[in-house]
Amino acid sequence: MRIKIDHKICTGCKQCEIACSLAHTGSVNPWRSRIRVFVGEEFCLPVIAGPYTEAACNSKGIRMAEGIEIDACVICRASCPAKSVYKEPDTGIPLKCDFCGEPPNPQCVEWCAPNALTLVED
Amino acid sequence: MFGWHGRILRIDLTRGTSRVEPLPAYLMKYYIGGRGMGVRILFDEIDPRIDALSPANKLIFATGPLTGSGAPAASRFIVSAKSPLSNCVASPCCGGYFGANLKYSGYDLLIFEGKSPEPVYVTIMNDRVELHPARHLWGKVASETESTIREEMKKLYDLDNWALNSMGIADIGPAGENLVRFAAIMSDGGRAAGRSGLGAVMGSKNLKAVAALGTGQVNIADAEGFRKAVMAFYKEARDIGEFYKRRRYGTWSLPGRANASKSQAAYNFKAGYSEAFVKYEDPEVIRDLIRVRDEACFSCPFSCGKRSRIKDPKYPLTAKGPEHETMALLGANCGLGNMEDICRANYLCNELGMDTITAGAMISCAMELFEEGHLPEADLGYPLEFGNTNMFELLTQIAHRQGIGDLMAEGGIAFATKYGHPELFMGIKGMGIPAWHPQAFDALGLQYATCSTGGSHTKATMPFYEGRKDPAHFVEFTKKDQDYIAAADSGVLCWIIYHGPLWAEKLSEWLTYVTGIAQTKEELDRLGERIWNLERLFNMRAGITGKDDALPPRITKEPRVKNRVVPLDKLLVEYYECRGWDQSGVPTRKKLKELALEKEGDETI
Repeated sequence: MRIKIDHKICTGCKQCEIACSLAHTGSVNPWRSRIRVFVGEEFCLPVIAGPYTEAACNSKGIRMAEGIEIDACVICRASCPAKSVYKEPDTGIPLKCDFCGEPPNPQCVEWCAPNALTLVED
Repeated sequence: MFGWHGRILRIDLTRGTSRVEPLPAYLMKYYIGGRGMGVRILFDEIDPRIDALSPANKLIFATGPLTGSGAPAASRFIVSAKSPLSNCVASPCCGGYFGANLKYSGYDLLIFEGKSPEPVYVTIMNDRVELHPARHLWGKVASETESTIREEMKKLYDLDNWALNSMGIADIGPAGENLVRFAAIMSDGGRAAGRSGLGAVMGSKNLKAVAALGTGQVNIADAEGFRKAVMAFYKEARDIGEFYKRRRYGTWSLPGRANASKSQAAYNFKAGYSEAFVKYEDPEVIRDLIRVRDEACFSCPFSCGKRSRIKDPKYPLTAKGPEHETMALLGANCGLGNMEDICRANYLCNELGMDTITAGAMISCAMELFEEGHLPEADLGYPLEFGNTNMFELLTQIAHRQGIGDLMAEGGIAFATKYGHPELFMGIKGMGIPAWHPQAFDALGLQYATCSTGGSHTKATMPFYEGRKDPAHFVEFTKKDQDYIAAADSGVLCWIIYHGPLWAEKLSEWLTYVTGIAQTKEELDRLGERIWNLERLFNMRAGITGKDDALPPRITKEPRVKNRVVPLDKLLVEYYECRGWDQSGVPTRKKLKELALEKEGDETI
């Protein structure tokens, strides 16, 4: 089971960030969210927090996406020492998506009105 | 504390200092936030008779308890100050990311006082509030200002891409710097707190921009109940197709509807219909032509905003909109019939930082003066009949106060009076009338005429309620609408989504879940009424009287649309009575006592 992202539909409203922080912390703060939306001029890109890595990689750089140059760090899901996202802002504890428990009921998908995020089985 | 943070950030630009103050409890209780708090603070702290462009004016950025709480469509912030255009109280609102970031920084209100000796911009990141020199930004257009500030913030705070794109910036373009009286405060790539000319107030304070990035939180009193209520609301909105309609067309569905029903502002309100707009009656046509992507405000599942682009190397960037009001005022009202031209005009106004509605009203006034032979070509330097694209040049001249633009920057009344025909400027209290033609609905004319900030599209609007065309009720509904909008502007909820009977009760529901303080609909109605009366008292102190509740003679005397005129005098009598005001539009002591505004009233009347 996975969360499928369609960046062409995403509108950049960030309700997923709000839903995630509300579900995991009981308050609303996008900085404590396990999903982050990168808002661009041409499209918006939700990225869901993946596993923690202890070391930053040095293989990233600028990649092409949709004909636009994009920093690969932006689309990388890892919580790593080189990035400030996917970490608790106060403690630095890494964050990772847990599909909101068992059975999976991801709140970001529930709160995504345009259905840019969908839960799929494959 | 739930919902609010209970903190005011006050920045003294004269001295370059800032301090944090507690938010008084009575403000939270009686004024909730946003527009309510804004007008209350202005009423208490400034003399309404001051020159709006003097350092004595204060500029208030206000959020509400719902801002950033995750309540659907609750991202807006209100900017309050005395207006240099109408001399009334002003409280334009704006969406985007700025409001939420101000809130996440830990402040409910941000107040600017005095005047900086040098151009500055302010960055706010939680408790770090800093003033930076902005000499290098002065003269830059809005998009360039924002991108430069983002670059500087990146270095200053060591920000990554996500944080950079999550922050909010409110800034002014050259029009605000040059004190054009209808300059807008621009935000986040083309959104605007546009009406009332507060961009000029910002410019008069030498304040180029405010950037906010907050990493804090908003506490929710009943998080689980709130979540369930939002999900139930989602289901309802999805079932009636509201999500889809708003996201697909936004306000682009309106030009067609207005045109087909002959209610569109066209040719300086000489008509309610533009032949050239017939081809845009299907919103899919506009969508195919210019849309880049659907762009939501923060925390809004409806996403009615649109980012657009035209194929013209002179206009390389994407722009926000144009929204319906812009299409009508800069388009049909100026005789433009080509969507690409409308986009150019919209792009120019966004970059220069001008209110597209009043700018449209100014241009159309100049066009009519020119066609009637009152405005000589020698004064302009080029012909300017309806539909002439020389208006782009004129827009630029206004923003930079060059040539005739210098006079036009002083507003429509000054301009049209100079050329002997003040009646040809289609404005109310100096502010251009928005897109829907007032003659199309009597109640609309009444709404515009009595609006406390002038001809505003966000304070006076299409009557919502059932039976709105029933003459026996629409005065009453006008009052209800006005009060409801004032309450929603205090939440702060986007009333464009939560209008009238459609989900009006949601405001009290969200407020109760988020703040934990039960709010009934009756209390919120009283809140709206209190705001409306306090705004009236402020305006009276500023010298505005019942005589200013007027419409241009074209609306009340010449039947241009549907062969009707607005019987304003008759409606005003009923309206004042309905409001509990006397026949010259002054609130009665009885009404003020009911709203706990006796003391304020006694000092004013």
